[in-house]
Amino acid sequence: MQSLGFSYALLPVLQKLYPDRAEFEARLRLHMEYFNTQPYLASFILGAVARLEEDRAAGRASASAIDAVGLKSALMAPLGALGDSFFWGALKPLAAVIAVALVMAGVWWAPILFLVLYNLWHVGLRMSVLFWGYHSSGDAMALMERYSFTRMARLFKAISLSVLGGVLAGISGWRPEFGPNLPLPGPVVALAALTGTMLLVSVLRRGGSPIKLMLGLALFCLALAYAGVV
Amino acid sequence: MFDLHMVLAITGVALVGGLIGLDRTAAGQFMISQPIVAAPFAGWLLGDATAGLVIGAMLELIWVLDMPVGSFVPADATVSAVTATAVAALTCPGGAPRSVLGFCLLLSAGTVPFTMMAETSVRNWNSRLVDAAHAVAGADVARSLSRAHLTGLFAFFLKSVVLYVLLLPAGLAAAALFMRSPSIVQVAMELFLKLLPLLGVALVVRRLSISSLDPFVLTGFITAGLATLVLHFHAALVTLLTVVSGWLGVRYREHRR
Repeated sequence: MQSLGFSYALLPVLQKLYPDRAEFEARLRLHMEYFNTQPYLASFILGAVARLEEDRAAGRASASAIDAVGLKSALMAPLGALGDSFFWGALKPLAAVIAVALVMAGVWWAPILFLVLYNLWHVGLRMSVLFWGYHSSGDAMALMERYSFTRMARLFKAISLSVLGGVLAGISGWRPEFGPNLPLPGPVVALAALTGTMLLVSVLRRGGSPIKLMLGLALFCLALAYAGVV
Repeated sequence: MFDLHMVLAITGVALVGGLIGLDRTAAGQFMISQPIVAAPFAGWLLGDATAGLVIGAMLELIWVLDMPVGSFVPADATVSAVTATAVAALTCPGGAPRSVLGFCLLLSAGTVPFTMMAETSVRNWNSRLVDAAHAVAGADVARSLSRAHLTGLFAFFLKSVVLYVLLLPAGLAAAALFMRSPSIVQVAMELFLKLLPLLGVALVVRRLSISSLDPFVLTGFITAGLATLVLHFHAALVTLLTVVSGWLGVRYREHRR
């Protein structure tokens, strides 16, 4: 999956460490084996592998020390799970719901804020874990202790949910494309939106893909239009 | 319908969309390929940034938690968002009405199976590239690896370009038919656009929370309700307050434990 990109990123390191052509090729071929993890935390493994290869080339690696290839195999699954749940499952939704909340209220620069919020964390962590991987020689326990991804993921998810609650409360101030235009007081419309959304959540718990739900909603709207309700 | 201007516009969208699409998995992943960024950008290039903003925000909510976990290939929300925006902007050059925006959002759902099929094929082909580089004998393995890497990047670019070239004309033809549809269909699509945010919010809440009536959603709802309806704060300040209330909620929960 990611072995092509990983071995390509490692290419300059291996070229520098192994002037002997045969040894360089042998090491490169080893790193072209199957590799798949969360792409940002792959930086940690990349830093660690560079360090282990450096130790090996300098003759500093002891016989009992883990080999760079073994380290890759050992770390890719746990870091994949950790990174997926933090970056895809918590950080991205947080940046997205904040940006969407602002778009709904008519703020045009929300996409820029999304990029800034996300990349401040993403680029910072990506650089940081690359060097941390190099300095710690791939000590994943120290990485988890230092960054507490699980705790941050919980926090980001809770904040995302809070912002979504705010989006529903502000329904009367949504931009005109989404505005309900109902002759009802704002709090009543907001409560109706909250109730409707919670009902939808209950329906979603029984299953259904986003595509099916979009199609179902479109059919529901068509039915309402044909019935003359709207 | 497909005059020179339209052909040039489709070609431009395909090339720009192909470059933006590289950010999804092939290079960088700085999130410029996310619908909330890619769609307004495409809309701005085609003269209707508002359509892009509306379509991008909705598709962001719907697809944000469709995660590329393990070997699962998620929907290519970039192609869907840019296609929907381009169809809206090219169908109604002066600014797409709400019914067209609703229709284009529905249209984006139709693009998903095609994008997933194309993505799966390119990923499989990309995996075979490394095997091919591996099989090279002798001293050329590094050069072969570099070539395979660049070929992989080009394959992802080409995949997006081909998808745009196929999906955009089909989408424009569908939008032209929609414009001639009875007014009742147009009213339904306008209602669809208004109800879609609720579905989007529900999709995210369902994935982030284990309970239907989540306490953090209620906290944000009450905070924003007071800030908006009683204190009439600006939207950006209200959003900031909901962020703070969520953070305080977590601190309170941790403190109780």
